[in-house]
Amino acid sequence: MTHTKKRIILNNIVMILSTLSAVIGIGFLFWILSVLVINGIDALSMTIFTEEGAPPGYEESGLKHALIGQLMIVGVATFVGVPLGILAGTYLSEYGQKSKLSETIRDISDIMMSAPSIVIGAFVYAVVVAPMGHFSGWAGSIALTIIMLPIILRTTDDMLQLVPSTLREAAFALSAPKYKVITQVVYCGAKAGILTGILLGVARVAGETAPLLFTSFNDNFLNTDMNEPVASLTVTMYNYATSPYEDWQKLGWAAAFILSMFILSLNIIGRLFIMNKKGK
Amino acid sequence: MNIFIDKFFANTTKLIAIAILLIVAWIFTVLFQHSMDSIQAFGFDFITDTKWAPNLEKFGALPAIYGSVVSTFLAMVLAVPLAIGVAIFLSELAPAKLKSPVGVSIELLAAIPSVIYGMWGLFYFVPIIRDIFGGVGISMLTAGIVLSIMILPFMAAVTRDAMNTTPDILKESAYALGGTKWDVIKDIIIPYAKAGIIGSFILALGRAIGETMAVTFVMGNVHKISADLTQPATSIPVTLANEFTEADTDFYYSSLFELSLLLLVISFTIISIAKFYFLRRKRIA
Amino acid sequence: MATIIDINEEKALEVKDFEFTYASADAPSIKKLNMPIAKNSITALIGPSGCGKTTLLRSFNRIHDLYPGNKYEGEILFKDRNILTAQEDLINLRIQIGMIFQKPTAFPMSIYDNVAYGLRLQGIKNKTELNDRVEKALKSAAIWKEVKDRLKHDANGLSGGQQQRLCIARAIAVEPEVLLFDEPTSALDPISTAGIEELIVELKERVSIIIVTHNMQQAARVSDYTGFMYLGELIELGRTEELFVTPKEKLTEEYITGKFG
Repeated sequence: MTHTKKRIILNNIVMILSTLSAVIGIGFLFWILSVLVINGIDALSMTIFTEEGAPPGYEESGLKHALIGQLMIVGVATFVGVPLGILAGTYLSEYGQKSKLSETIRDISDIMMSAPSIVIGAFVYAVVVAPMGHFSGWAGSIALTIIMLPIILRTTDDMLQLVPSTLREAAFALSAPKYKVITQVVYCGAKAGILTGILLGVARVAGETAPLLFTSFNDNFLNTDMNEPVASLTVTMYNYATSPYEDWQKLGWAAAFILSMFILSLNIIGRLFIMNKKGK
Repeated sequence: MNIFIDKFFANTTKLIAIAILLIVAWIFTVLFQHSMDSIQAFGFDFITDTKWAPNLEKFGALPAIYGSVVSTFLAMVLAVPLAIGVAIFLSELAPAKLKSPVGVSIELLAAIPSVIYGMWGLFYFVPIIRDIFGGVGISMLTAGIVLSIMILPFMAAVTRDAMNTTPDILKESAYALGGTKWDVIKDIIIPYAKAGIIGSFILALGRAIGETMAVTFVMGNVHKISADLTQPATSIPVTLANEFTEADTDFYYSSLFELSLLLLVISFTIISIAKFYFLRRKRIA
Repeated sequence: MATIIDINEEKALEVKDFEFTYASADAPSIKKLNMPIAKNSITALIGPSGCGKTTLLRSFNRIHDLYPGNKYEGEILFKDRNILTAQEDLINLRIQIGMIFQKPTAFPMSIYDNVAYGLRLQGIKNKTELNDRVEKALKSAAIWKEVKDRLKHDANGLSGGQQQRLCIARAIAVEPEVLLFDEPTSALDPISTAGIEELIVELKERVSIIIVTHNMQQAARVSDYTGFMYLGELIELGRTEELFVTPKEKLTEEYITGKFG
């Protein structure tokens, strides 16, 4: 029985170590979260939403320019990326299915989802920014669209495949043409899943900083011309946080807080959609 | 009419799907073309040369490559045991009441943008490293630690998911032979979920090596190879983030593109290994 | 009222006023159950699904304890002690009371390592002893001839019937006193099923066996005693030939004649 005793002791040691690492890991993560919430709430004020950026030391400074810029850049990317992604995903699930072409597109998309986003920024710099001769909001949106596409494509593909084939067959049996079966029956069946995919895709690109550094660049003031450099929350956060000015750093925390809350809400809403669907 | 729309719809979706492949091919081509100046001028020396001096038109990428490898290695060394520990806790140890809330918060933390981790690292972790090791606190070590914390939620969540795929009946069989929890974990669950766990770790590695924002704040962008981990350093993405908008000569510009290409090829390779050798895509029947 | 015959032989286990409640349930799944289990014989548990037969079986090695919140009441006596107490050494208990599951559960390791697993857990490291006991167990499980040339191969390469016999070999390698079979042939084809049944009958010389089955013919073929359970209660326990030919309880009769189930 001594060996069994040894096993029990070893078991207890490992269980303690595991709990400890869970406490350490989770502790670190909650540390980051609490830092974010405490600094963020501390820095929040009405002027954040009503004022534009200002040189350090100015009382009246805010993030209005970055908030609006962020909405424009992400908005355009969503507007372009979502329909394209859904259509491409539709091809994989409904037309290509298990064909070699579809499988290749799936594999490449999966890899692109984890590829370094800063490289996308370099690419867009080369094909958009350099020829145009200047940074622009459009370039930022294009970079984010490229990052968003594979995400939307793969979730659409997966969600459409979850729709039972009997549903399609039933619609075909009523002599509906394929495009109608897809747009009226299959999309309906996968609504919640696709919506979740869109939310998660938007959440993912909204937090991107690296691909915007040399595409949409930055602007300390409000600019709504997408042909010019446009401020974003993420790049503003980076610039402010690395500046030596305390009031700018404070604005950086406010930006971090607002952005994180936005992204977390999208994630939570997305989860609720999926959960609701499972509950039914 | 219906037949026409049908064809149109089918072809449009196909065209867009193929466009994804073309975009990826285009990215590689453009990066390659823009690297040509640098490739022709420096050849293989680009990746073995240790001197990166834009003012002298000298571009050796080894410090950046070294920094990428070492910071990622550090991050993995720290994150792997923690991730396994958290995963064991979540899948086998935690009381039912804790499992779900802790599990969900870890998944949500994986969604927090990396720029936030970088900012936290700069304001809260750099001073700690400075107090312990002296110097400025901005260092390879700091970058490795911040990176490890950034990839931890993702790694822990996927490791837990992989462990959870072990059928209950298999675990019960091992308990029925008198196994302890640890016996069952090391002899049954880990061997069963091995491919998934290793695959996720490699995937995390692929992401970590291309991560920009979590490390840019805390690494310093100093092109110097130092065995001392508490010294400032640089990595490929850090160099890109800091210097891309400053490139004022053709060689400088082209060298940065070669760095991008290098980074893309490295991550593409690592992610492909994870995907094709370890993570067969979950097929929906 | 239940009809439970007296057992003259020595008892391997004795269930007394046993109640079991799942963590997620309000009412007990097994109610005030009393049942003797004869030594070196085969006791079959039959009854419609949801009657509690598997729940009862899984109480004998307390595998329910893996899932927190499950509650036992009453006693299960094994070797003059109540195994339901908090002080019970579950590792030791599970070495003495082995279990075979509904589906073959070959571990992700070689055939040899599967059988040696329980032995190694007990700290047996001596190569010759391990070899001997693995061989003996595989022979007892009537699978030695089929696997002796590929002991180092992955156990998952075996057929379903072979895997189930491997699991039996793994369970008897540690020389338990009781073996619990939870519908051991439900995932197997008829030929493999016949092989496993034959094996179970052979094993009773060395161990006491409790087998849960949804297949009444199987119970009739292999067992010495049969217990019929319904809605968490033991309705009747009798010698197998008597229970199937002249059941004492109306419910038993209705069940074995196929009026419900």
